Amino acid sequence: MAEKAKGGLEAESKGLIVLSVILAIICIIWVLPMVAVVINSFKLNTFVKTETFALPTAESFAGWDNFIKGVTLGNYNFWLATWYSAFITIASSALILLFTSMAAWYIARVDSIFCKVVYFLCIFSMVVPFQMVMFTLSRTATQLHLDTPWTIPIIYLGFGAGLAIFMFVGFVKSIPLEIEEAAAIDGCSPVRTFFNVDVPMLRPTMISVGILEIMWVWNDYLLPYLVLDVEKYRTIPIFIQYLKGSYGTVDLGATMALILLAIIPVIVFYLCAQKYIIEGVAAGAVKG
Amino acid sequence: MSTKLSRRAFLGGAGLLSLSLAACGGNSGSESSDSGESSGSESTASGRVYWLNFKPEIDETLQSLAKTYSDSKGVSVKVFTAASGEYESTLTSEMDKPEPPTLFVIGNQAAVKSWGDFAIDLTGTKIAEEGSTDDFNLYDDQGRMVSQGYCYECFGIIANPDLVTKAGGDLDTIQGFDALKTLAEDIHSRASELGFDAFAPADMDDGNNWIYSGHLANIDYFYEAKADPDAWKECPPTITGDYLPNYKNLFDLVTNNAPVPPSELASGGHDPQTQFEDGKVAFMLQGSWTYDSVAAKIPEATMIPYYCGVDGEDKAGLNSGTENCWAVNSQVSEEDQNATIDFMVWLVTDPDASKELVAQLGSMPFINAQKGDNGFLNDAETLNAADCYTMDWDFNFQPNVNDYRAALVSALNTYDKDQNDANWEGVRTAFVQGWADQYQKANG
Amino acid sequence: MAKSLKANSIRTATRKWCWLFLGPVVIAFIIGFVWPFIQGIWLSLCQFRIVSNAEFVGFDNYGKVFSDPQFVYSFWYTALTAVVSLVIINVLAFTVAYLLTQKIKGANLYRTVFFMPNLIGGIVLGYIWSMIFDGFLSAFQTSILTDTVWGFWGLIIVMCWQQIGYMMIIYIAGLNAVPGDMIEAAKIDGATKMQTLFKVTIPNVMPSFTICMFLSLTNGFKLFDQNLALTGGAPISGSPSIAHTQMLALTIYNTFYGQASNARGTAQAMAVIFFILVAGMGLAQLAYTRKREVQQ
Repeated sequence: MAEKAKGGLEAESKGLIVLSVILAIICIIWVLPMVAVVINSFKLNTFVKTETFALPTAESFAGWDNFIKGVTLGNYNFWLATWYSAFITIASSALILLFTSMAAWYIARVDSIFCKVVYFLCIFSMVVPFQMVMFTLSRTATQLHLDTPWTIPIIYLGFGAGLAIFMFVGFVKSIPLEIEEAAAIDGCSPVRTFFNVDVPMLRPTMISVGILEIMWVWNDYLLPYLVLDVEKYRTIPIFIQYLKGSYGTVDLGATMALILLAIIPVIVFYLCAQKYIIEGVAAGAVKG
Repeated sequence: MSTKLSRRAFLGGAGLLSLSLAACGGNSGSESSDSGESSGSESTASGRVYWLNFKPEIDETLQSLAKTYSDSKGVSVKVFTAASGEYESTLTSEMDKPEPPTLFVIGNQAAVKSWGDFAIDLTGTKIAEEGSTDDFNLYDDQGRMVSQGYCYECFGIIANPDLVTKAGGDLDTIQGFDALKTLAEDIHSRASELGFDAFAPADMDDGNNWIYSGHLANIDYFYEAKADPDAWKECPPTITGDYLPNYKNLFDLVTNNAPVPPSELASGGHDPQTQFEDGKVAFMLQGSWTYDSVAAKIPEATMIPYYCGVDGEDKAGLNSGTENCWAVNSQVSEEDQNATIDFMVWLVTDPDASKELVAQLGSMPFINAQKGDNGFLNDAETLNAADCYTMDWDFNFQPNVNDYRAALVSALNTYDKDQNDANWEGVRTAFVQGWADQYQKANG
Repeated sequence: MAKSLKANSIRTATRKWCWLFLGPVVIAFIIGFVWPFIQGIWLSLCQFRIVSNAEFVGFDNYGKVFSDPQFVYSFWYTALTAVVSLVIINVLAFTVAYLLTQKIKGANLYRTVFFMPNLIGGIVLGYIWSMIFDGFLSAFQTSILTDTVWGFWGLIIVMCWQQIGYMMIIYIAGLNAVPGDMIEAAKIDGATKMQTLFKVTIPNVMPSFTICMFLSLTNGFKLFDQNLALTGGAPISGSPSIAHTQMLALTIYNTFYGQASNARGTAQAMAVIFFILVAGMGLAQLAYTRKREVQQ
């Protein structure tokens, strides 16, 4: 009996080793595309196509030239695009976090007919694909002069409010009223109650929502492309897409260098905030 | 009166614009064309010049020329450059201001339709008399010369004469497709022995495929238009594709006598210009705007016409054209118009001014302007002087140009993968039937 | 009683601040969603080039949509892509999630790696993969831009690479929630690993399956960036021309912003139909999850 169990355990551990090997192989396949980007970002243009999967050789090695060339490709400065991307992402996410948490709290607490309408519209907006409003939204934005990086966060707040409010309302409803009542008795105004009592408790949800919004806005292509004046303002996705459409031969080596530059902040952000990101994504998916 | 009317028309929005102007435009046009003629007599120091510039790359030069001119002549000259891609909208809003541009750009037939009524008839003006050719001027349907080309570009086959000689050929004897084909195929067959190949074909990716879908396609459009000029006064609803076999001649020659197989062109990344500049190929299809870069490496590079097997093509010239055409505003005072024309004349006759401008623009088709040092444009001039016909840019008529070209490129890619008759039929469909379909979509 | 009174008085006090709490979101929401949405519905019933001279034409545009060969083609192509990617993504994601919950060393590292592609935006992703496909396919004298079959599978590969990690996270959450004693009990009853998996584990993670299926289905239907960056719809052939790898979202975009600007009404009608499709899926998911919650 004991023998048998031991044998079973051994087989199991053998099985685990096999599994580990399989997973390791899949893992390597998984990172290969990124490795290919890194390798090719150091290759001379003409070798990217012919020796895509080979390491740079003495002949094909381009050093840092691709990075130097890359940042001005497409007649636009890559760092400017990075700055706009960063600003739009941070400002939009901050705006969304602040205002939707306030709105969600009000909706959950006051529960008037107006609140119900707003809440219903928010849930409704979650299932509306962007193509439905892309033309009218970009037109409205231009008419109201919201077509700059400094004002586009307002558009993001409007179009992205749905999911955030939905998630916040769900959480606020689980906060017991008693705490707020205690604050009110102490003479706190509703505004102070919200910021001093509720906001600290909302922190985990705020992180989840924040992460979802950051990932969305940073990677978004079509909305800023249609709303912004793209001759002046380009975000990273717009910048990259423009490389393809620009006249002349695209330097593939330099493009890969650029892509690497574009990915690095995302990877660093991911590795730093991995736990929150994975939790946030799971929370967003389960609720959305 | 006419000024007031037109202002109101502007407020009506772009859609109403052409409609309401059709009503009053005829009047204002003929009225101001008179004033245009009278401007030939004397120049006045009064009046203002406001040039709404179309080419961002020459802005700096223009600003300094404007300053020189106002300092020496005491005439106020303002140059404002519209952001690239924003010319139409900038023009629309600037025209509606109290001091609208006196000089602006009407670059193609579509613009003649929407802006022609805002331009005086340049026929017989001092500036028109300075012109060296009529090829780049635009006329409206009443025969008024609404705009005058002030610079132009050309494209064709750029050749490296040294390599041609090395291969035992002589560029001067090439005056038609057959000779070009014999030479190119000979070079290609001996490529490894010679150390260079015949053609560096442009890639088929988004950044480069206009060589085939725009420039090369002009072979068919131009010869169709040459055979039936009346049908090509504006965008024809259908085309015949009669000269598509000639397009195929040159297309096949370029793609099959190259260091890379045609099937690899689809994904791009070959950089034909570098191959040419490095002396690895004898020919490539390109335009005059590459001259500075090419001549730095191959000073003797020269441009020959698109030879494609059409009868009488020994008299063919380069494909020359422009979208840079001056129009003088008919809605401003006669004084302003005269001041503007004087400024234009100064730009193309003053040795220093025209030298500076030509250095930026390559070449200006005016009798007294300085000659440029763009070898390819000079090739075009030489051919013109030898009584060759200029192949003008009829590809500007392509309806729904993006969609039309995308389908054509895709069909060419399929053909490149396997160059058989069935796949060429796909190209023909995209080329001929695609034109009719897109014309329908755009106008129907 | 006293409690609800207190709650009421707080509510009244809070109401005074309505403008502050709701104001910004409501204004932005009207600009960014409500007004564009209403205008979008209205414009789908109009013929227009520019909005100020839109002309009401009733349901004409909708008729045109269904007789547009590209739309019909893209619809079926999108449905096929969505279903195929749904199956592959979910099978692989569940498998990986299942393996990772088997007390494997370094499970965290694997999880980190598998999820990573999800953070990269569709445009960048498309660019990376078009380089890889170009390098790979040039050996076979073909290209993703000329080969419809590769265009299809190429997109599926990209979708898998991006989404498997995401779905895996949801499955891991589901698997971790399966009560350990149930699996123990099955073991004691002599069930094999496979039997345990199919009879105990999978029925218990059904909610995760539902979520992931709906997610991958709507993701597939809404796919735009990757489609644009990878093939852009190529190859195109025939008359009237059909873009063979163009999905619905890109078709709508191209109809709108292609140069046949008199087709804008039709494009807006396509967008409304697209909205109904996607919203239908979303609501079905919502209804389904609600029903399950009630049953539990």
